[in-house]
Amino acid sequence: MPSNEYDDSKPSWADQVEEEGDEGTLPSPKETVKGNIKTVTEYKIDEDDKKFKIIRTFKIENRKASKAVARRKNWKKFGNSEFDPPGPNVATTTVSDDVYMTFISSKEDLNAQDQDEDPMSKLKGQKIVSCRICKGDHWTTRCPYKDTLGPMQKELAEQLGLSTGDKEKATEPEPAQPVQSKTGKYIPPSLRDGGTRRGESMQPNRRADDNATIRVTNLSEDTRETDLQELFRPFGSISRIYLAKDKNTGQSKGFAFISFHRREDAARAIAGVSGFGYDHLILNVEWAKTLPKKRYVSGKP
Amino acid sequence: MKPILLQGHERSLTQIKYNREGDLLFSVAKDQFANVWYSVNGERLGTYNGHSGAVWCVDVDWDTKNVLTGSADNSCRLWDCETGKQLAMLETNSAVRTCGFDFSGNIIMFSTDKQMGYQCYLNYFDLRDPQQIEDNQPYLSIPCSESKITSAVWGPLGEFVVAGHENGEINQFSAKSGEIVKKIKEHTKQINDIQTSVDLTMFITASKDCAAKMFDTTSLDHIKSFKTERPVNSAAISPNMEHVVMGGGQEAMEVTTTSTRIGKFEARFFHAAYEEEFGRVKGHFGPINCVAFHPDGKSYSSGGEDGYVRIHYFDPQYFDFELEA
Repeated sequence: MPSNEYDDSKPSWADQVEEEGDEGTLPSPKETVKGNIKTVTEYKIDEDDKKFKIIRTFKIENRKASKAVARRKNWKKFGNSEFDPPGPNVATTTVSDDVYMTFISSKEDLNAQDQDEDPMSKLKGQKIVSCRICKGDHWTTRCPYKDTLGPMQKELAEQLGLSTGDKEKATEPEPAQPVQSKTGKYIPPSLRDGGTRRGESMQPNRRADDNATIRVTNLSEDTRETDLQELFRPFGSISRIYLAKDKNTGQSKGFAFISFHRREDAARAIAGVSGFGYDHLILNVEWAKTLPKKRYVSGKP
Repeated sequence: MKPILLQGHERSLTQIKYNREGDLLFSVAKDQFANVWYSVNGERLGTYNGHSGAVWCVDVDWDTKNVLTGSADNSCRLWDCETGKQLAMLETNSAVRTCGFDFSGNIIMFSTDKQMGYQCYLNYFDLRDPQQIEDNQPYLSIPCSESKITSAVWGPLGEFVVAGHENGEINQFSAKSGEIVKKIKEHTKQINDIQTSVDLTMFITASKDCAAKMFDTTSLDHIKSFKTERPVNSAAISPNMEHVVMGGGQEAMEVTTTSTRIGKFEARFFHAAYEEEFGRVKGHFGPINCVAFHPDGKSYSSGGEDGYVRIHYFDPQYFDFELEA
C-alpha cells in the first residue's frame, strides 16, 4: 500500500489520486498527536462504494485524580466493550448539541411589572391625557360620555363642514392622540404619550404584517432567500422574507416566514405551495401564528 | 453545556448511579445489560452480561469492588466491578425491584415484587458469610403484605433501610430485627425513587403524585416539598449546592401521543430551601426516568425513557446563579 510509505510525511496530491484510484484498498488510519490535540484520520467505504475520509480531533486533557480513580482508569474493558479501542467509542458515546439551563426568576417578572406601573402612576398627576369629548383626564375612547356627547359633537362638526372626527375614527384613535402638556415642562420620551407601552407605534403595522404572513417548514438545508423569493413571487408582492439560518454554518434551519402585502396572496400561496415537493422535501405551509409571550428567559442569548 | 450522550441501552433506563468518587457511572435499563461508564469522557468501561430480563436496579459498594444488580428475571446478581465477572446469583420468586449495599459494603439488601402469587419481600444478606449466598438463604427476610416496595435506600450506619411503597408510605426497616422502626405516609401515590444526600442525613422521594419531598433520614420528619404538575420519576440532592434536581414527564404510555414541547421532559432544578424552581434543562425525547448528581456536584446525569443517558457538566452560570427570594 502506498500510504504506508508516506505515513510520516504528507502525501502529495498525485499520491492521493493514486490512492483513490485503486479500488477496494483503503489507506490505513492515521493518528497524530500535536501538543494536546490528537487527530485521527480514518477512511471508510459506504454501501454506494463512496470513499469517506473521517477526521476526528480530540483534546487531550490531564486531570489529577485520587489513586483509586487513577487505577480504575487503567482497567481493561470488558463485556460488550471488550474489543473497543481505548477512548470513547463513537457507537456508544457521542457529544450532543449544546443545551443551556433556562433560568426562571420570579423576581425578574415582578420587576418588569413594577416598571410598567411606575410611570403610569406618575402620569396620573400630570394630566397628560385629555379627552377630546369632555376634556376629562382620560383617553377619548374611554370617555363615559362617548356615546352621548360624541355623536352630538360629530354632528356639530359635520354641520360646520369639518370632518376631523371621521378621520380620527378611521385611524386608530389612541396613538393618534397628540401630546397635550398643560404644564409646558419637558417630558422625556419615555413619559410621553404612548411611552408607557413599549413600541406601541410599531405594533399595528406588525400586526397587519403578521396577518399576511405564512410559515414554511420542512425546507431543505440548502434553501436560500432567493429561492424562496422565486417560489413565492408568483402569488403576489412580498414585503418580507425571513429565513431561519444557523448562526455558525449559515445553513437554513428548515423554516421561513414570508410576509405578503395582501392577505389573499398569502392564502393563495398556502393553497398553492403546501404539499409542494421542493428540493426532495415536501413543503408544509401554514399561517404564521403569533407566539404567546415567553415566560422563561434563557440563560444565554 | 454540551452533554455527553451515552447510547449503551436499547430500552428505557431504569436507574443510574455514580460510585463514591464519581469517576464511574453505572446505568441499567429494561434491556439485559448493566453498563458502566467513565463519567469524565463518557467512555464505556464495560457491561455486566448475564441477566435475561429487564434490570431494575443497580448499586456499587463504597470501594467500587462489587456491583449489585436486580432484575425482572427473578435474580439479584453480584458482579466484580473491574472484570465484569459474575460473583454470585441470588434467585428469587419474583422480580427484584430495589437493591443496595450498606455503608460497609458487607451487607446487601434487595426487595422483590408482589407478583405471580408471591409476596413482596425485603431480604438482607451478609456477604461475609458465604453460606448465606450458597444456600440462597438471607439472614433476614421481611414480608411486606400491604403494599410492595418500589424504591429503597440504606440509612446511615447500616442500621435500617428506608423503603418507599406503592401506596406512598415510607417505612424504616431495621437491618437487625426486621421490624418497622418508623412509618409515615406523606405521599398519596407510588414512590418512584429515593435518593439520599451525601452524608445520608436527608433523603428525597420522587412520587407519582407529582411531588418530591425531602425527609430527615432518622426521624423521617418532613422537611421540604417540591411540587410539579407531572409525575416525578426521580429526584436527587446536590452535594455542594442547596439544589435539587427532578426528572419526570408524563407517564410512559402517553408519551407517543404528545410532542416533546408539551411533554415537560426537562430536568427541573429547585432550590432546596425556598422550594422554588429556578432552572430547566431540556434534551430527552421522553420522560426522564432517573437522575443522579456527580458526588462533586459539578455535573449531573439523567437517563430517560428514550434509552439515552446524558452527562451534563454545568456551565459557570449555574454556580453563579442566585435565586433572589
